[in-house]
Amino acid sequence: MIRLQNVSKTYGGRPALKDINLHVALGEFAFLVGPSGAGKSTLMRLLYREEMPTAGNVFIGGVNLNKLGSRQIPLLRRRLGIVFQDYKLLPRQTAYDNVAYILRALGVDEKDVRKRVTSALNVVNLEDKASAYPDELSGGEQQRVGIARAIVNGPPVLLADEPTGNLDPATSLEIVQLLARISERGTTVLISTHDHTIVNTMRRRVISLKQGEIITDVDSGMYEVEMSVES
Amino acid sequence: MRILRIFYRVIIETILGVKHSGWSNWLVISILAISLTIFGSILQLTMTLKNVVNSFGSQMIVSAYLSDSYEPKVVAKDVSQYPEVKMVEVITKDISWQEMKKSLNVAAIKNPLPNTLHVTAKEPDQVTELAQKLELLPSVEAVKYPMMVAKRINEVRHFFEIAGVFVTAALTTATLTVIGNTIHLVIQARQREIQILSLMGVGHFYIKCPFVLQGALYGLLSAVLAMLVLFCVHMYAIQPYLTTNMANILPALPKGVGYSLVETFLVMVILGVAVGAGGGAWTSGKYLKI
Repeated sequence: MIRLQNVSKTYGGRPALKDINLHVALGEFAFLVGPSGAGKSTLMRLLYREEMPTAGNVFIGGVNLNKLGSRQIPLLRRRLGIVFQDYKLLPRQTAYDNVAYILRALGVDEKDVRKRVTSALNVVNLEDKASAYPDELSGGEQQRVGIARAIVNGPPVLLADEPTGNLDPATSLEIVQLLARISERGTTVLISTHDHTIVNTMRRRVISLKQGEIITDVDSGMYEVEMSVES
Repeated sequence: MRILRIFYRVIIETILGVKHSGWSNWLVISILAISLTIFGSILQLTMTLKNVVNSFGSQMIVSAYLSDSYEPKVVAKDVSQYPEVKMVEVITKDISWQEMKKSLNVAAIKNPLPNTLHVTAKEPDQVTELAQKLELLPSVEAVKYPMMVAKRINEVRHFFEIAGVFVTAALTTATLTVIGNTIHLVIQARQREIQILSLMGVGHFYIKCPFVLQGALYGLLSAVLAMLVLFCVHMYAIQPYLTTNMANILPALPKGVGYSLVETFLVMVILGVAVGAGGGAWTSGKYLKI
């Protein structure tokens, strides 16, 4: 589903990613871990075509993102669910409207919008907070709205860039477990994080990055083990 | 239906954009309305002058003022023999005097007016030649024909047309700058929101279109304001003044000259909307990073 072939990215001569080769299969759940500056966010930005690689190719569902024109980027992003550390909710819209926004922008019939938004809010357990504005919700609830928005269009791939970065440990675990449940429905989920606890608790595939390079890629791995092996 | 639903959402986004702009909406609309009023005034003036010129041009009558020592009917008979003459009408000095006394409060003096021949040419391009021929007659003291006036008016009209182009260009540039700045402020205020929409996969058209429509809306509202101003000035100032004083300003002006208000208003709406939408498109193209 996600494939990177010899991908490198440099910023003004400074390498952020070096010759990355990676494959994440359909329906797989994986963590992308590493310390700050390891290149996790850069790799994520390449996947949703916020950035272009300096070298190599990035494929999502067989489509080479390097070859996408600017008008095709929105089409790609509609096939991806993206969850952000800072939630990126529209502040003047309720939880319901935030989730419904993309569907309405695509001209989906309001009846269908209601059905799909309600279903997405059910998945994240927020049906009773549908009419709340973001500033009336806790961090965890805001992130769950962000997840509902990411899955409302039924994307085959869900990318979560440090989704627990602003949350307490208990809420973080809840959010990651929620993402794991979404993955069980057949969605490919890739989570970038530097949260040891959740990675070690989940025991799923762990891809470790350090200084722009993949240093380990282990099924049922643990954060601390991989990083300590490296160090 | 899907397209209609998207369009409906774009309209809602446009209204939200206008709401977020607050007081700057009025600034843009005022400046654009002033520009359109000036442009509309010049346009209407030149179009009216053009109508006047055309009306004069279609008049093929040459007025020949005769010396009192000649019998008008005899002169009229001679003139009617010219090949370019279609018709000759004699207006005696007594008739002219009666007419003048009807419309103006003249003092009780001896009739100073001459006998006049209204000579109608067969073709418009024969009018000048005919006037020159009549001028050479010893019985004719003076000759006047509307085309002479038309030529003068045309010169004035050309001046206004050229001035109009420069004034319109200057005002359009100023207006585009103001619209651009206002929409730029809206874009800056909504930068984070726009970034979120882009990351969610909302299309470029959906993001940009509200800014173009916002500009077009400014143009439309400004045009309506400017039209209202022009209409009031026309109805309550210009028309009453011309109705009472036209006979003194331009005695030979044909009746029923059009003021081209509808055409002027149509051009103002088109220009307003085009400048507004153009400003929106230009600014969103320049400042939207999606």
